[in-house]
This record gives sequence, C-alpha cells and structure tokens, in this order.
Amino acid sequence: MNSKKKFRPSSIIVAVLVVLWFLICLTPLVFLIMSTFKQQFEMMNNGVFALPEGFYLGNYKALFESGRIWRYILNSLVVLVVTLVILLSFSAFASYPLSRWKFRMNKPIHGFIVACMSIPIHITLLPLYLMSVKTGLYDSIWALIGPYVAFNLPISVFILTTFMATIPKELEEAAEIDGCGRYQMFGKVMLPLVKPGLATLVIYDGVNIWNEFSFALTLTQSAANRTLPLAVNEFQGQYTMNTPMILTVLFISILPMIIVFIFGQDKLIKGMMAGAVKG
Amino acid sequence: MQQTSLAFRRKKSIAVASTVFLFPALLVIAIFIIYPIIDSFATSAYDWNGITDKLFVGFGNWKEMFHDKVFWKAFGNNLIVMVLSICIQMPIGIALATWLDKVGRKGNVAKVIWFIPMLMSSVAIGYLFRYALDANTGFVTGLSQLFGGGRVDLLGNPGKVLLTCIFIISWQFTPFYMVYYLAGYSGLSEDVKEAAMIDGATERQYFWRVALPLLKPTIKSAVILSMVGSLKYFDLVYVLTKGGPSHASELMATYMYSMAFESHRNGYASTLACGMFILISLIAIVTMRLLNRKED
Amino acid sequence: MNRKAISAVLSGTMLLSLMAGSMTTVQAAGKTKLTLWHIQTGEMANVIQGSVDRFMEANPDYDVEVVQKQNDTFKTDVSLAAQAGTLPDIFITWGGQTMYDYADQGLIADLTEYMNKDNYKDQFVDAGIAQCTYKDKIWAAPVENISVAGIFYNKDVFDKYNLEEPKTLDDLEKICDTLVENGVAPFALANATKWTGSMFFQYLATRYGGLEPFADAAAGKGSFENDAFEFAGTKIQDWVDKGYFCDGFNGMDDDSGQARALFYTGSAAMDLMGSWFTMTIAGENKQFLDDGKLGFFPFPEIPDSKADQSLCLGTIGDNLYVVSNKCADKEAAFKVIQSLLDDEAVKERTDLAKIIPLKSFKTSDPVVQEVLDTISKAKGIQLWYDQYLPSEVAEVHKTTSQEIFGKTITPAEADKELQDAMTAYLSKKGTASTEAESAETEA
Repeated sequence: MNSKKKFRPSSIIVAVLVVLWFLICLTPLVFLIMSTFKQQFEMMNNGVFALPEGFYLGNYKALFESGRIWRYILNSLVVLVVTLVILLSFSAFASYPLSRWKFRMNKPIHGFIVACMSIPIHITLLPLYLMSVKTGLYDSIWALIGPYVAFNLPISVFILTTFMATIPKELEEAAEIDGCGRYQMFGKVMLPLVKPGLATLVIYDGVNIWNEFSFALTLTQSAANRTLPLAVNEFQGQYTMNTPMILTVLFISILPMIIVFIFGQDKLIKGMMAGAVKG
Repeated sequence: MQQTSLAFRRKKSIAVASTVFLFPALLVIAIFIIYPIIDSFATSAYDWNGITDKLFVGFGNWKEMFHDKVFWKAFGNNLIVMVLSICIQMPIGIALATWLDKVGRKGNVAKVIWFIPMLMSSVAIGYLFRYALDANTGFVTGLSQLFGGGRVDLLGNPGKVLLTCIFIISWQFTPFYMVYYLAGYSGLSEDVKEAAMIDGATERQYFWRVALPLLKPTIKSAVILSMVGSLKYFDLVYVLTKGGPSHASELMATYMYSMAFESHRNGYASTLACGMFILISLIAIVTMRLLNRKED
Repeated sequence: MNRKAISAVLSGTMLLSLMAGSMTTVQAAGKTKLTLWHIQTGEMANVIQGSVDRFMEANPDYDVEVVQKQNDTFKTDVSLAAQAGTLPDIFITWGGQTMYDYADQGLIADLTEYMNKDNYKDQFVDAGIAQCTYKDKIWAAPVENISVAGIFYNKDVFDKYNLEEPKTLDDLEKICDTLVENGVAPFALANATKWTGSMFFQYLATRYGGLEPFADAAAGKGSFENDAFEFAGTKIQDWVDKGYFCDGFNGMDDDSGQARALFYTGSAAMDLMGSWFTMTIAGENKQFLDDGKLGFFPFPEIPDSKADQSLCLGTIGDNLYVVSNKCADKEAAFKVIQSLLDDEAVKERTDLAKIIPLKSFKTSDPVVQEVLDTISKAKGIQLWYDQYLPSEVAEVHKTTSQEIFGKTITPAEADKELQDAMTAYLSKKGTASTEAESAETEA
C-alpha cells in the first residue's frame, strides 16, 4: 500500500497470510449461502460443493410463507435484548467492587463466580425444567432469561473485572476529591471507562444467546414460543433431514448478526478508542 | 483514634456497598446454577433412567466413574483440546489483532470477515464441516485428488478426528480472541507507542518489548477463558462426531450428555457432571494461582 | 451468609412465581383441551395436523394442540414431562423396553378396551398388535410405518455390471467383489449414526442363530458371548477388510444424507436400510424413484444355517401412539389416534410412500410391494436391538458395533463389553424389584 516504504519480503508474507485467513474465514460462509439456493435432490446428486443449478428460491419462499419464521425472529430478539440488558448491568455491578475494592470476601467471591464458568449447562437442564414448570414459566420465552443471564454471568464478570482492573486508581481518587460517592462513582466514572469491555461482552454474550439451543429446546415447546435456532427442528426427522432448508434457516439466523456487526463495529471501535484515550 | 474509626467506617461502607453491588449477580447464580448443582450431587447417589423408580446406590456411581476408562479418556482429550487451543488460538489471535491495530480503520473490512466464524452457530459450522470433510465428496478429498492423492478420511479415523475437531474449534474461536486482544490494544495508550518510536524502536521491537508485556493481563485472562472453555467444550464436537468413532473425540461434556440423553442414566450422568465440575475447578484454581504468583 | 443465601433463593422464587401468576392463560370456555406430541416432519407433519383438524371439526367440543417434537431428545422430553406431571394426553413411543417401562410405571393407559371395541385391533397386522402388547394388555396403536430392514440397491449399477439380486450370503459377497474390482463401493454406509452399521450386525446374527440367542441374552438366560454374535462381528470385519463399505463410513452421518448421496450417484451400489427408505427418497429425490432406479431384496440367507432364514429385522408400527394415564378423556384421546388413520389419512400416507401397518394396506409402488411380500413371508420379526434393549445397554451395543466396524476392538471384546453391560443392568433391576417386593410386604 505504502509505496514510499522500502520493499520488504516480510510484508509480502504478511499480505499472503492476511489473504489466506480471509479465504479460511469466508469459504464456509460462501458454501452456506450457495446451499440455500439448492433443492434437496440437487445437493444429493451434484455434491455439496457444486454450484447451484439456478437461483432456486423455494427454500426462502417456504420458510417465509409459513410465517412462523417472523415469530421466531421476534422471540429471539426479545430474549436477546432483555437478557443483555439484565446481564450487562448485573455483571457491571458485580465487577465493580470485585475489581476496585479491598474487602475480606473479595477473592473468595471472585473465585466462586469464576468457578461457575466451568459448569456444564446440560446438567442443569432437568432441575431448571422442573423449576420452570413449577413457576409456570415453562413454554414461554421468559423461562429462558434466567438461565441465559446466569450462565453468561461468570464469564462476563471475569472479563469485566479484568478490564476494570486496568483502569488507573488516580481517576477514582480525583473523583472522590470532587465529592463523588461510591454509587455515583460507578455510574459517572467507571461505566464510561469500561465501554470497550462492555462491547466485547455484547458480542460474546450476544452471539451465545442468539445461537443458544439446549435451554430453548427444553424450556419451550409450542411453535409460538420458539426461538430462531429451533426452527431447524421442523426439518430434521427421525431418519432424514432437509439439509438445504436447514442451512437456509441457519443462514437467516446468522444474517442479522453479520449486519449488526458490520454497522456496530464502528461504534465498537469508537467505544474502544474512548476507553483508550481516557485510560 | 479518629483514624481507626474512619478506617472502620470506610470498611463498613465498603462492605455495605459491595453487598449491594454483588447481590443481583449472586442471586441469579444461586437460583440457576448452584441449586441445580446441589440437585445434581443429590442425583449422583441414585441409579435412575428418568422413568422407573430411583434406586439408591450411594457412592456406586462415583466408584464407577473412577474406573470408567471412557471418562478418563475424555478428560485426556479435553486436556489435549485445551493445550492445542491455547497454542493455536492465542498466537493467531494476537497476530490478527496486531495487524488490525496497526492498519487502523483500513482494516475494517478484514475485521468483519475475520469475525464471521464467531457469528456462526456451532450447529451451522457442524453441518458445513460435516460435508466439507466427507471422505468421498468433501472439499478436502477434492483438494487431495486434485493433487493426485487419495480420499481423505478425517472424521472417521480415530487417529485424526480429535485434531480435526480442534482445528475447527480454533477456526471458530480465534476471532473472539482477536477482538479481545484488539480491545486490549486499545487499552494501551498512544503515548506509549509514540514514546517507544521516539526512542528509535522498530515495529518489531515495539511489539516484543513494549506491547506484548503490556498485554500480559489480557493474555492471562484470555488463556484462562480458553482453558475453561476447552474443558467444558460441547457443541461442535457433538454435532460433528458425537464423540466418536470409538470415543476418539469424546469429551467430558459429550460423554455426560450421551449418558443423560441417550443412555438415560441420569444418576451416572449427574455424577459425571459433578466430576467434571470438580476437575475443571481444580485446574482453573491451580492455573490462576500459578499465573498470579508469577506476577508477584 | 447461609441465611442470606436462603433468603436470596426464597425471594428469587417468589419473584418468579409472581411473574408467573400474572401470565397464566385463560382456557377457551367449555372446550376440552388435548395435547398430542409427535416427531414427524415435512409433509407427514401436515398429514397429522390434517387428521386432527378433521377430528376437531367432527368433535367441536375438543381443542387438540399438536406439538411437533424433536426426535433426538424425545425420550428425555417424555421423562422430564413425566416427572413434572405435564405429560401430553397423546404421545408416541417406540416398542420394546421403553414402552414396557412406561407401562410398568403407570405412565400410559391400558388401551385394550378401546382396541377391542368394534374389533378395531383386527384392522392392524398381527405383528403390529403383538408389539403393542405387554403383560396381555394392549398399550398402544401402531400407526406410523412398517419399518423392516432390507437391502436397497441402485438398479443402474446392477445393470451395468450384469449383477442379479443375491439369494445367499455367498452370492452377495460375489457381487461385492465384482463391485470392488470396478471401483464401486458395494455398500453406502454412514456409521457415525451407529444404528446404521448395527443393522448389519443384527441381521448377520439373526441369520446365523435366529431369534433365540438375542432373546436369551437380553433376558439374562443366555449371553452375548455366543457364536451368533461372534459370527456377525467377524463377518463385518472381514467385509471391512475387503472394502465392502464406502470410504470414511465411521465419520459419516446418515440423517444428513451423506451415504444416500453416494447411493444416488452410483458411487455406491447398495444400502442396508429400513423400509422408510422409500419415503425418504420420495421426499428428497423423487426423480430417482420415478426413473425406476430403486431395487430391493431381503437380507441374503445362510443356506446351511439351522435358523429360520425368513426372519426380518425391524418394527411394525415404528412410532406407537399411547395415551397418558393422566388424560382426563381417554376415549376422546383414542379417537384422536384413530383419526390419524382415517380414510383420508390412509390415502395421504400411502401417497407419501408410507407402509401402513393395516391389513387392508395396498400399494401401487413395486418396491414397497416387494417389502410387503418379504414381510408377509417372514415367520418372525427381530425387533431392533436398540429398541428391544434398555437404553443404557442399547447405547453400549451401538458403540461397540461402531467399534467393530472401525476395527478398534475384536468381535469377542465387543461381545464381552455388551454382556457386561447387560449383566450390570439385570443385577440392578434385580435389586430394584426385590426392594419393591420387600416394601410391598412391609406395607
């Protein structure tokens, strides 16, 4: 790019690696998109990697004509937003004292929360299912919020405490001299400074929640209360599945994430820069 | 006198405030994680298929677990996944972040594309790679035949299947560490770089002598994240191989899942989950101790 | 600390139940609500919904909710619902140990009375009713499909190499040798799915020893360390060595059609599969059926064997529909099940290439007819091992069978592992029943 710079062989290696990684990341997506334009027999007869015979739109048509897909998308969106709001505030609350203050229970509590990262979700399915039935939340999207918040909390607290720990003490001290109380300090000083950390969490937790399958499968049953990843179910039978259709569902569920990331990443970087300048 | 009371008051106010701040998170964890865990420990004392009556077996399941070759093989596989994931994902993640940090806004397109694997669900990735790695019609076989080689069987070969899974897992999660390190880079102030450059440091020297040491806390937490993630990894391996063939890609979580959802041995599956929980916690605690000691 | 934790949990639960209280929905007045769980997909799901709609039209007092569940987690869903007391009124199960457990546990209703009414049960093929019978009572209706395994082949490939349907195992091996010489994989097999390869094991054992070795071993009277199973394992490994199965079979998934893709394109000639195969093809590659490329023959015989060579492997009914014991209106629930096989539904199911377990069933499809002929000649049916056996033993069977194919284990080792699992299960069951008995005497 920079013609003024001296030609260096290492920059060629870097360029090759950059392009290579491009291909590695893009290829599966390209195949995914291609497959959505195929009919089932086409995939069977011509192989998965052949180009589609034509722009067959039947998969998309079938999916959107049934109308249920909109319901799934709406459900997924509601779950995502509600969970993220609760999750981010709870983890920011918790990370603040753990990263900034000295008190006796600090290390044990931090260790405890981090240890919770290691819990496999599948073992909690049965107790949580029974709990959701008892509380009457079973088969509603609200049954998903609690488990989603709980299982993303440990990792979020872990990431946020790391971020908060890097913020210099002086900032807080200055604010304290200005007469800022503990609770104000959190809102006025801390939150703006950990924006990059929060942005990382939005991505990480957001993807997790958006794609979550096991809880959604166990805690909801009627079509009206399903989330997007479960749409795959309709096309997976006892002995066979409609692969192009499933891949279409999967592509449609990835699409919003890609769009959000394309438009959101600018903000993300700004958030990161802001954190960097002040930090 | 006054000073001690001030310190005391300060202590007390910290105690009150930290309780307030921590309460919501701990409450949620108590209800949705701790209660189920206690429940699991209780269930681990029974033999139970979910339908017929529970049969009390005491520590019978625990004894079985200690002698269960498949479980320990799965644990070993988890350790392999852990080590290789860190060895593959960390350097690539740092390299990509370094490049993106260097080129700044010009790298936006690259960043979006590089991040795509992370946005795809494990189910989608599983399906795609199942076809891509098909020994007869797959992409890899196609490449090999193009160069005059034979069919390549990666998923059906017990010797290769775990490595294959690790590569795909790395493909999926490297973008996360890329963003994580990028956020870490943005935490380093511009002044540091300028100062280093003024001192006549080359790019390479800046990276090795200045940036990398400053990124240490980020690297440390990334390693712990990757570690815990690898030890309880489930999704992709389950979709792709269900732990097979011959348990060659079996992980603790996939083994537990098939015990619970295919063999319907709920009591034993609970025992496996508890064992898994204990093992992972131990490893995490030991590693964190080691990492922190180095710091001091 | 402790008290705080407890009060935390309490207040959390209270909060949740408050939220829940405000969300209970009001039932439509006067209508009885019934719920049905099934695992059919695609067109078949529409057929079921259509049947239920007709039922509701004829019986306006009922509101039937049809829920399409996922096959993979279905057994777990049932056990979760059983514990929570939320079992649907009508659901499906598979034959064998699963249904017996439900019956023993009082989860499902005895349908004998309804099945006998107007001789309804006589409409079904006898083997189907036999599969729904346990302890002299009928617990289910065999609705979905006659699913027996046999070998499907690509006629184009057979024509190309002048091959004919084999009668004996030796014939089959000759065919396979010819195919291997010509670079065609004899069998398409996707064995990451495990039960696919297990069918070879089951058929070989059945051809060698008949029904007894397995029945005895499962009942604890015999053992899996038996000639029949040894023969099956050895034969499979021999065939693996000779290249009778497509490359990479242990890493391929059957549901996603990796084996069928080879079958359709002629890269592989045969597929040992259940008779739902016709239905699968009709759904995903109709042209293949329409071109008359699909052929079928029963699993070849071992001429000098003492065992009956007409035995089939499979299930009559596949998904058996049962009624929950807690259902308030069992008669209506049974009528819903009957509606699944009303005249309209029978027609629609036939069009989808289903093989309905009714005596009156007729087909115009030549391949389906061949399957029917095979079944009518069969003197007995060997139920799939994985349905017959309790799940925990069934899983061991499927895994060891996959290992036999992968040659990571010898046939003898596999048989021993399976026998160990069976023994462990039976001894646990023994303890459980003695405990139950002693509890009864105490009471």
